[in-house]
Amino acid sequence: MKRHLAVLVAALGLATGPVQAATGERISVKGEIIDTWCYFSGVMGGPDAVIGTAHHTCALWCSAGGIPVGLLAEDGTVYMVLKIEDSADSAGGDTQLRLASHTIEADGLLYERDGLKYLVVEEVVSDLDIQALSHDAYGTVPPFAIPKAER
Amino acid sequence: MKQIIALLGCLAAAPVVAQDFSEGSEAKSWNLYAEQPAKFEATVVDILCELTGDCPDNCGDGSRQLGLVRSVDDVLVFPNKNSQAAFTGAAQELLPYCAQEVEVDGLLLEDDYVGAKNVYLIQRIRPLESEEWVKANSWTKVWAENHPEADGKGPWFRRDPRVLAEIAEEGYFGLGLEQDEEIKDLLFE
Repeated sequence: MKRHLAVLVAALGLATGPVQAATGERISVKGEIIDTWCYFSGVMGGPDAVIGTAHHTCALWCSAGGIPVGLLAEDGTVYMVLKIEDSADSAGGDTQLRLASHTIEADGLLYERDGLKYLVVEEVVSDLDIQALSHDAYGTVPPFAIPKAER
Repeated sequence: MKQIIALLGCLAAAPVVAQDFSEGSEAKSWNLYAEQPAKFEATVVDILCELTGDCPDNCGDGSRQLGLVRSVDDVLVFPNKNSQAAFTGAAQELLPYCAQEVEVDGLLLEDDYVGAKNVYLIQRIRPLESEEWVKANSWTKVWAENHPEADGKGPWFRRDPRVLAEIAEEGYFGLGLEQDEEIKDLLFE
């Protein structure tokens, strides 16, 4: 009886224990490399204010500070970026810093868990530089992004 | 046996009930729209390793994003932020506890509008075998140790060599120095 029960529990996915590494789903996606904390938290304003040129300096700061970068796709989906080509340095790495605020076209593997989508970028097919000219509407976000002495 | 099958079928089909992790939390509010205090036990994991099986030693030595697999429900929580105010993440704070069981306290963010789910701001950490809480605010100290050449006054992000190099090359708006000056003239005239 116990054996039957164990088989049933496992079959229904109710068993606990370490999660086995999954196979990712191959996808192609286009979007902007964003800093996920400002985007998710709203600490710097709404989602339209924390993308593109207005937020570029802040995105550099966040990326250098180890805040995870995401890829904000054209449909509004945020993919948490865990690796870009050979660079798995997702906490403050040079590759992610260099791409801050850039729109890229990426091929990679998608993993999903507990409500978040994770992306392993296997190839940056194209780097389209910065596309969102958000400074037109928002100036600089945060307002102190540019030191007073340089204005 | 039919009763067991029926019971397990019901369990499998039941909706997941959101749990309240605020009990006992001493997390300080950041007045964020979707924040909830959350204190829970978890295992510290390298997220890339957890999802893909790509697992270096010591969770990548601080180069990778680290996550928290919550003990009570096996949910992977993603700490995006430590407890410091200025642009600092959480991986450095969790690294000393790689693969260990800890208790954490902080703010959980869930906001369907922007797609935030199981996103976390970590404020303090406690190894399960310890009574002492550790504040999650070590990032700037580690940065200063790694960048002695950037010693000086002002916040770290004004002195970070990589950030300064990017701004020197592409400007504050990322469009190149010429456009940068034009935009500044328009914005601050």
